[in-house]
Amino acid sequence: MSRGRYSRQSFLGPNSKEMISRTTVAVVGLGGGGSHVVQQLAHIGFQRYVVYDDDIVEDSNLNRLVGATSLDAIAETPKLHIAKTVIYALQPNAAVRGFACRWQEKPEPLRECQIVFGCVDSYKGRHELEIACRRYLMHYIDIGMDVHGDEPPVIGGQVILSSPGSLCMRCVGFLTDEKLAEEASRYGAGSRPQVIWPNGVLASTAVGLAVDLITGWTRRERGYVYLVYDGNQATLKESFTLRNIKIAACKHFAEDDVGDPVLIDL
Amino acid sequence: MRIHLKMRGSTYREIIRDLVRPHPFATERVGFVFGRTGSLANQGKVILINRYHSIPDSHYVEDPTVGARIGSEALTWAMQAVYHGRPSREGIFHIHMHGHKGEPGMSATDAFEIPKVLPGFQSTGRHASHGIIILSRDHGSAWVWLPASQGPARADAVIVVGAPVGMFERSAT
Repeated sequence: MSRGRYSRQSFLGPNSKEMISRTTVAVVGLGGGGSHVVQQLAHIGFQRYVVYDDDIVEDSNLNRLVGATSLDAIAETPKLHIAKTVIYALQPNAAVRGFACRWQEKPEPLRECQIVFGCVDSYKGRHELEIACRRYLMHYIDIGMDVHGDEPPVIGGQVILSSPGSLCMRCVGFLTDEKLAEEASRYGAGSRPQVIWPNGVLASTAVGLAVDLITGWTRRERGYVYLVYDGNQATLKESFTLRNIKIAACKHFAEDDVGDPVLIDL
Repeated sequence: MRIHLKMRGSTYREIIRDLVRPHPFATERVGFVFGRTGSLANQGKVILINRYHSIPDSHYVEDPTVGARIGSEALTWAMQAVYHGRPSREGIFHIHMHGHKGEPGMSATDAFEIPKVLPGFQSTGRHASHGIIILSRDHGSAWVWLPASQGPARADAVIVVGAPVGMFERSAT
């Protein structure tokens, strides 16, 4: 049996190593979810990264930030640095373009990606990333988790694939005007509960979707995916909102709405 | 300057399905795709293909010296499309397919014949990028005339954003 580094993932296809290494991936948000994603991408063999996070490591991150240590909290290490360290430790020749800012401040590198992982905290953040991915033709994979209530607390989460030309996060019922408005109304209301294991489940599922998009190893043609995580039941299932979905094409993003916006004389 | 060309998986499949169809007399087919330009880092550009136009059989001209020759009707249609695409700076790309595997290049006939139509596209759609795309059975190459450029720049990659993702990179020269 071969003992090559990727021999145990050879079922992904004879050219999978090259396909994976040629793909440029972006990870937006390198906290609880993004740190898992980055680590797994590096293990799998991805070589080209665009990563964004403008935050530093704090004590309250250490319950879930993969790669961060107590020393990083003391040193206030940028999360970007943690991600780069994890990647380079596994892939010393990787090309990592890292930006310690919001992606909107440096959007051009994002546009060179084929797959974007959105690991952000807000609906607005997800919405803006999806718009960019549609406009510049990139697969968008969104992950997120939240904890609601207290009798008992309920852990929920989602993994969504939104591909150009297919149904978007509004079409599948995840993003709504009501959610965006409600979020805007409680802007600055404080941090939400976060724990490591749901992030691990969601990130692993997201990375699995990305590997399938690149290698096609499942032979399934996916345009959209909406999986709902129930942390209390420990299940990840297709969203019930997809059961009665009647639309075949996205009505929120026009297919010709691509490229840099152009000012039109009226 | 880095230049990428991207298209959806559905557009790529539509192109392939059309171009592999036999023609009544031509030995290959050609088509047009339309794309808009986006900015990349360091003045790079990405051409984002948004639709494909199949050329009707009747718009081909019999010419046994070449695989396919399109006539004035097809070219007039293309020029009108470029004209109508001016407000959105939408450019046009001539596209055809070679039957082999691997990175395609321009044949001597391609290099002699196809670039002749580009100055017309450039003069009509001055602010858009136009060009030529050649696909093979598992790869693709593109030549892009950016606005105001005198000649083509070879795209560094043709990318199919589908399932699976197609990443057709230009080989190092």
